Amino acid sequence: MAEGSILTDDFLRELMNVGEVDILIGVPTLNDAATVGQVVQCTRAGLLKYFPRQRSVIVNVDGGSRDSTQDLVRAASISDLAQGTNPSALRTLHCISTSHERSTENGMGLHTIVAAADLVRATICGVVSPDSVSIEPEWIERLLRPVSRDNFDMVTPIYRRNKFDGLLVRNLVYPMTRALYCKPVREPHPADFAFSGRLASFFLEQDIWSQPAIQNGAETYFVISAITGGFRLTQSFLGPRPRVDHSSGDLVQALRQSVGVLFWALGKNFPVCPANSATEKITATGADGELSMEHVRVNRKRLHQMFVHGLEELNPVLNSILSSATLAELNQAATAAEDSFRYSDELWVRTVYEFAAAYHQEVISPDHIIQALAPLYRGKTYTFLVENRDSSAVDVEKNVENLCLTFERLKPYLLEIWDGRK
Amino acid sequence: MALPQDPLWYKDAIIYQVHVRTFYDSNGDGIGEFRGLAQKLDYLQELGITAIWLMPFFPSPLRDDGYDIADYRSVHSSYGTLDDFKLFLEAAHQRGIRVIIEMVLNHTSDQHPWFQESRSSRDNPRRDWYVWSETDTKYRGVRIIFTDTELSNWAWDPVSKEYYWHRFFNHQPDLNYDNPAVREEMWDVMKFWLDMGVDGFRLDAVPYLVEREGTSCENLPETHAVLKELRAKLDRDFPGRMLLAEANQWPADLRPYFGNADEFHMAFHFPLMPRMFMGLKLEDRKPITEILQQTPSIPDACQWCLFLRNHDELTLEMVTDMERDYMYDEYAKDKSMRLNVGIRRRLAPLLDNDRRRIELMNGLLLSLPGTPIIYYGDEIGMGDNVNLGDRNGVRTPMQWDGGWNGGFSSADPESLYSPIMLNPVYGYQAVNVHSQKRFDHSLLSWMKRILRVRKSMPVFGRGSMEFLYPANHRVLAYVRELGKERILAVNNLSSSAQVVELDLQRYKGDILIEMFGKNIFPRVTDRPYLLTMGPYQFYWFRLRKI
Repeated sequence: MAEGSILTDDFLRELMNVGEVDILIGVPTLNDAATVGQVVQCTRAGLLKYFPRQRSVIVNVDGGSRDSTQDLVRAASISDLAQGTNPSALRTLHCISTSHERSTENGMGLHTIVAAADLVRATICGVVSPDSVSIEPEWIERLLRPVSRDNFDMVTPIYRRNKFDGLLVRNLVYPMTRALYCKPVREPHPADFAFSGRLASFFLEQDIWSQPAIQNGAETYFVISAITGGFRLTQSFLGPRPRVDHSSGDLVQALRQSVGVLFWALGKNFPVCPANSATEKITATGADGELSMEHVRVNRKRLHQMFVHGLEELNPVLNSILSSATLAELNQAATAAEDSFRYSDELWVRTVYEFAAAYHQEVISPDHIIQALAPLYRGKTYTFLVENRDSSAVDVEKNVENLCLTFERLKPYLLEIWDGRK
Repeated sequence: MALPQDPLWYKDAIIYQVHVRTFYDSNGDGIGEFRGLAQKLDYLQELGITAIWLMPFFPSPLRDDGYDIADYRSVHSSYGTLDDFKLFLEAAHQRGIRVIIEMVLNHTSDQHPWFQESRSSRDNPRRDWYVWSETDTKYRGVRIIFTDTELSNWAWDPVSKEYYWHRFFNHQPDLNYDNPAVREEMWDVMKFWLDMGVDGFRLDAVPYLVEREGTSCENLPETHAVLKELRAKLDRDFPGRMLLAEANQWPADLRPYFGNADEFHMAFHFPLMPRMFMGLKLEDRKPITEILQQTPSIPDACQWCLFLRNHDELTLEMVTDMERDYMYDEYAKDKSMRLNVGIRRRLAPLLDNDRRRIELMNGLLLSLPGTPIIYYGDEIGMGDNVNLGDRNGVRTPMQWDGGWNGGFSSADPESLYSPIMLNPVYGYQAVNVHSQKRFDHSLLSWMKRILRVRKSMPVFGRGSMEFLYPANHRVLAYVRELGKERILAVNNLSSSAQVVELDLQRYKGDILIEMFGKNIFPRVTDRPYLLTMGPYQFYWFRLRKI
């Protein structure tokens, strides 16, 4: 590999063979053999069904899998090397794969994908998550069509989720993004999304790729910079996305990928839009969000305990992040018995904004700030679960909307504390 | 020049397809004839073709451009006499050019005396020379070929008050090949022309000779039996003559027409042709390699016939629905270009008059396994006129020079059998033989060169073929091999420059010699052989072990 390049010579050779394409779908992976085969087959089926005439390529960027992930992707190619014909395909469909050992973070994967898209001059690009096991060929159409037909630059997904799934998005990432950037993007940290070649080139040209925050959560930055760059955004309803059971260790990583990037990007973009700006609508194809109501077992007691213990352990750290009033209020809340404990929207929003300001002011290392948010988020999650235990889908949506409004209402507070003046 | 005596001559042939009417009018009546065609044989010899395939020239009401024959043993008066034909045939043979004529076995014109007798009464001795029925429900479900004009394969005869069977136009009743007298008569017709010296027949519409209830009435064993009977007689009485099948079928269905080298010598490869155009537009070799992978092997003495364009529409019967839609959208955006299940356009307009693409397609035609057929006028890039009805838009007069009627005829322009091409791009003043002869780099001069190269090595006509499958799918590469002779053909189907790495390890140590300029390219090593190719460029290399 040439010095300073993220593309290996072998991968470059594969791209030369692929040549110019209309559509590039990226699949970043790491040990996803259990699911990636199905995802790639569905992607291929979607391309053949809905974009049979377009020149397409599926690009897998692997973080160094030890399983058969890369082989499974390559096997989905349609070429004249395979025995027998494929009457459903007009042309060759390349599925190529490259791996990098330099980082297990997804930023490298997305960097490689946009670089490849730029090199092969793809005008329509997409990224599908290797764990999107509910993917159907129609997802590809729903993601790519707004770019190909309607000239949108970015398409983010809307999923049908369980009301207790995607809580980090619903309690923090979505409302805060909406408040700061005045765009109600339901999935600001999308697992599956599409973007135009123009936007891919724009991403590629930005001097951000070595940033730790981007290495963790480039997807969120894509969405934010599409907004701030004035690109045309839309959302597309894809369908159900099954609940993924994460271990508790995944929470910090999830916070890094979404909230960390959100905070980091805020430093670049602040102030994004005036405090009194109203949220602009974003078009959505299909449903504008759906919740499923099936019962999900969640250990609320454990969440509460982790909140209380975390708050107690991290009090010295939180003392440097939060205002004394906020910390005191939190400490006070923690004294309540589990049944009566509530983490109010207003307190939560103030907490998050103070974290954002602390991140910007680098009062301690940014990663420690993100880690310190984890127990507090658990407290908020506990409250959400309790308050919405018996809520209908409409009520849940109403509660999320109220939280969004709180984020918007308290935006002047963020402006005040941003530079440490208050 | 004596004709070579090789019985497999058709494998090395380069066939030129022409309708006598379209080529040269020597008597000023506005219609080409055999005397005119004979006068242009020097041109064809100079071009480098080795055989002429003549479209039907028999007496006919010409409701289907002569494929509706009213007398199998004569020449249409517009085209001359039998003696004129004999003179033409002799003159062609003197120039080493063989002559293949059309033989429409399946049907006659409804004006043919046989049909007139047959319809005259139900007990006429020739009644069962055709396929009659009291109802139009027999053979239900058999596909209709001319979907734009025919609603049924049956037509009502008001004279004898029965239906007669016709797979093509309703004025072309099908002969009844279950009748031994018909089979005998048609062999006598063929003998008539073979005795005169014709070198072969292009047998029209052969899949449809016999009908059976509950079948598609295509490719039936009984049809193959009829054809085998004709072949046996041909081999017995006229060895060295050739039969060419017109059967627009999938390769697997075509294979039986070769039998064990005891049915047809050659057959058109219909499914390949549209896929060559498709591959070019998609910039992807997949359609071409796929159809050739599906093509079964044929006996050594047999040969595929390849063509880019002919007198009919670019047929899209042997493609999938998705492929057909793609072809229509890409090559016939204007609906007037579509006819039946195909596209009625000539080669140059199909390829946007792009010289590079015309050369590439001819390069493919001449290097893929088979005997190539060049449609008259395509060697100079003639255009078409979609405003003329049916397929007449691709049957306009040959354009010889920039003068009166393009040098085709001295008649008044209004009396020509067809309007001559006039538009500024394809009209006779822009595209004609005379002007292209003057320049070494004209399409005509290029065609002469490539035909000379093709004829220089029998491997093109007789060699095996193996695809190389380089990772760059825009490049179609294959090796043709015959004995110690090896040719490497590399074709860039793309509109942009390409890099390709070829795995030539099997030929390690060979030197590549580019066949047009005879230039030496680097020796093959263990490493992938790297070539850079311009848009639509193709190479023919001779692999030499020196």
